[in-house]
Amino acid sequence: MLFIKRYLLPRIVQFLVVIFVGITIVFFVPRLTPVDPVQQVISQITSQGAFLDPAAVDALRQSLTEMYGLEGSMFQQYFAFWARLFKGDFGPSLFQFPIPVMDLIMNSLPWTAGLLITTTIISWIIGNILGGLAGYFKNKAWAKTLDNISMVLRPIPYYIFALLLLILFAYLLPIFPSAGGYSVGRRIGFNWPFISDLLIHSFLPAMSLVILGIAANFMTMKLIVSNIVAEDYVMYAKAGGLKESKIAFKYVIKNGLLPQITGLALSLGQIFGGALITEIVFSYPGLGTLLYGAINSGDYNLIMGITSLSVIGIAGATLLVDLIYPLFDPRIRYR
Amino acid sequence: MKKAFLVFFMLVLCGILSFSQLVGIPREETLIVDISGARASSPGNFNVYVAMWETPERGVQQLMLEPLWMMEPVRGEVINALAAEGPIYNEDFTQMTIKLRKGCYWSDGVPFTADDIVYGVETTMKHPEMAYHEQFSMYIDKIYKADDYTVVFDLKQPNTRFHTNFVDRWGAWRPLPKHIFEKVDDQITFQFNPPISSGPYVLKDYDQAGYWTLWEKREDWQRTPTGMLFGEPQPKYVLFYYYGEETNKIIAQANHNLDMCDLTMEGFRALLQKNPYSRGYRLEYPWIGATDPNTTGLILNNDVYPYNLKDVRWALTLAIDITDYIGIAYDGVAPMAALHLPPTPFYQKTYYESLQEWLKNFTLDIEVNGEPFKPYDPSATLRAAQYAKERGYEVPDDINELKEMFGPGWWKYAPDVAEQLLLRNGFKRDKNGKWLLPDGTPWKISILCAPGVTNPQYRNALAASQQWRNFGINCSIVQNESFVNVTTYGNYTVSTSWPSNEPWGGHLDLFRVFSPWHSNYYKPIGEPAVNGNGAASRWKDTRLDKIVEEMEKLDWNDPRNLELGMEGLKVLVEDMPTIPTFGYPSVVGWDEYYWTNYPGAENPYIIPYHSFPNFKYMLPYLEPTGRK
Repeated sequence: MLFIKRYLLPRIVQFLVVIFVGITIVFFVPRLTPVDPVQQVISQITSQGAFLDPAAVDALRQSLTEMYGLEGSMFQQYFAFWARLFKGDFGPSLFQFPIPVMDLIMNSLPWTAGLLITTTIISWIIGNILGGLAGYFKNKAWAKTLDNISMVLRPIPYYIFALLLLILFAYLLPIFPSAGGYSVGRRIGFNWPFISDLLIHSFLPAMSLVILGIAANFMTMKLIVSNIVAEDYVMYAKAGGLKESKIAFKYVIKNGLLPQITGLALSLGQIFGGALITEIVFSYPGLGTLLYGAINSGDYNLIMGITSLSVIGIAGATLLVDLIYPLFDPRIRYR
Repeated sequence: MKKAFLVFFMLVLCGILSFSQLVGIPREETLIVDISGARASSPGNFNVYVAMWETPERGVQQLMLEPLWMMEPVRGEVINALAAEGPIYNEDFTQMTIKLRKGCYWSDGVPFTADDIVYGVETTMKHPEMAYHEQFSMYIDKIYKADDYTVVFDLKQPNTRFHTNFVDRWGAWRPLPKHIFEKVDDQITFQFNPPISSGPYVLKDYDQAGYWTLWEKREDWQRTPTGMLFGEPQPKYVLFYYYGEETNKIIAQANHNLDMCDLTMEGFRALLQKNPYSRGYRLEYPWIGATDPNTTGLILNNDVYPYNLKDVRWALTLAIDITDYIGIAYDGVAPMAALHLPPTPFYQKTYYESLQEWLKNFTLDIEVNGEPFKPYDPSATLRAAQYAKERGYEVPDDINELKEMFGPGWWKYAPDVAEQLLLRNGFKRDKNGKWLLPDGTPWKISILCAPGVTNPQYRNALAASQQWRNFGINCSIVQNESFVNVTTYGNYTVSTSWPSNEPWGGHLDLFRVFSPWHSNYYKPIGEPAVNGNGAASRWKDTRLDKIVEEMEKLDWNDPRNLELGMEGLKVLVEDMPTIPTFGYPSVVGWDEYYWTNYPGAENPYIIPYHSFPNFKYMLPYLEPTGRK
């Protein structure tokens, strides 16, 4: 009971407040920009070359404003939005009216989730293990080699690195596709031809994220471990004659992982924002380009849908870390 | 040993994975074209009849749908597609009759008849969510069929151009299949999947992630306007693929995985070096053609001082050296446009040539050496050719060919005259030669453009800023994601939106260019203009009002229209509310590895763009090379 009152409840309240404030900000910010979704649609219609009688433009503007639910004050729209949200409805996309926002999100989310969850976890595991070992055995030749490699990789801007992979493996050695999620004509299904096709198409986007992700985790973990090995309790363990591997894994790397767990949770919470540059460079489907397009076109509902999920994801990840942290760090208790 | 293993591993990898983009689709029977817009975020939706439908250029407008009429800018004609002939109006233009082409069928075997038009139009009028709802509701009193192949529209008020709602010019109201839509409860949320085609191809497959859409030739292609008018389309399959980033397009075409795409000039040059089978509209410099029915340039906000002064607008025009300007913007390849009309061969023939004498004799209200100043410079074409020669390119000597390549002249580079125009309006230079406004403050111009560095808006902004800086004006470029909105609402001084509304492209009627400028549609700053192009300049003129009003009463084929078009262009030249600079420089990259006989400069049989609805009429002309 004390756990609920002193630990769980305050964190859940905090979680709800963060979501409320986050979504409120996300509601108002796009409406304060000069982007007018109605005008964007009219501009699209006219810029596409179709003839729009000038006399009909005002009538069209009025119709669109009504259909989009953009009539009334900003606060009226705000309350209408919350009323809709409590029913789990983000409304229709304004720029792709009347397709529901959730349909658009659900069309892109599996691609983003598949790519980012996998690559985040793989790069986190490999990067932290290698970083931990390299930090503990820092004088070994292999540790120095790994360190040098990550020192070279880490500063490369992601865009350049991704482009490099694309040119290397899609053009100079054309063994991977340069675009898309799967081959033309491939039947979707739970079968090896489709799964292998999916893996081949996701290989370059995934590698670009994994390699740089490993380098980033490696360097952070190595730095953390380098500090931990100088701690008194490690010296004491060594003086006590404990096995080197036991000291490395149980005393040093385990403790070094604590801040990295927080980082992992937050990274997983951020996947709803998509991986815009990855999607652009490799023409890979996902939420990033969907959100980018929504911002450009002033599609308020779609922006709200994606960013609300992102806010909930990050706040949820933070709550989760708060709740499970005592399991990893005995210094923290549920009180 | 390790090295040998590595080599073996790589070879095996290449052998296993040597990547094929198509599964079960013969490449040699497939034409692959780029989607220039965006990936479809709701790829299963083919209900293009809703107003905000997102990406018609994934094959929907190019292959799936036939319009009643098709605007064809290169041929300079309006093609009767599902319509058998042009529109028939009664004397006072309150009734329009359409005769339909007989023998056309939907892809599911149902005949295309007047019922489809009547039902489609009535459905559109019923639903505000559908495209053209406002225009139809505003004008149509009643629609009915006289017989199976004749549709009659009774209009609420005279409208000489009502049929233009049905003329496809990258968009139009296109007939929908009554037998499908009438069985649907909600025509707006209906996904129309699988879609039924009136065009020569049917949907074969599409990417669940929205990157590609595959179309297959109809077995009964003869029963479509494309088949009847142009013959059998050659590719069995057409694949529309969104490659996004230009690097991907270049890689794809270099690997022969992309036959037709849009590129930037820089990307095109890179592609030429990588793929000996790639070509542009022209085989040699300048590679592009003056074929796009669109003009680029600069919009001046006529409601903001000092751009409300004609002298200032003309001073800014005369401070531009057009050869240098296009050199900065597009390495000299874009065709110059002196008029508010694209310099396509069709408009060069109809308007530019007809106005040459007037342009040569046109004078500004200022004297140079005691003579009225004539600002037009027909020799600008030759200067552009000279610029190309100096860059090491070979260009023909024939002036007509040069005009087609580089445009038929522009305005003189006359900074001295520009200076006089400013001085007489109270402007002066400071000790560093920089221009000051009459109140003594420095004259600064912020040129608004779209983000990115390859689009024509940015290229115009870049070139203008350099030209005007050389002239002594403090210029800066402002890139804004909301560029169109900001321009439309008038919150700018100089913008790089299109300087005038696009003309039809293949018809001499300029009502579409002039009408948004009618003072009835004038909107003050803060209110959205009827479009973000010329009308956003907030310029109005009673002379143009009268021209538009007279045009409104004339059949668009009336010969008087040509005269009115010329009169309107003269008014625009005299007042120069916006500054047209060059025609839209569309750069296409075509791979001749699998397909040839694209509509290049040596054989311009149709508009050469795969995003245009006219694309379906290009396909019968393509020839397979036979390569596997």
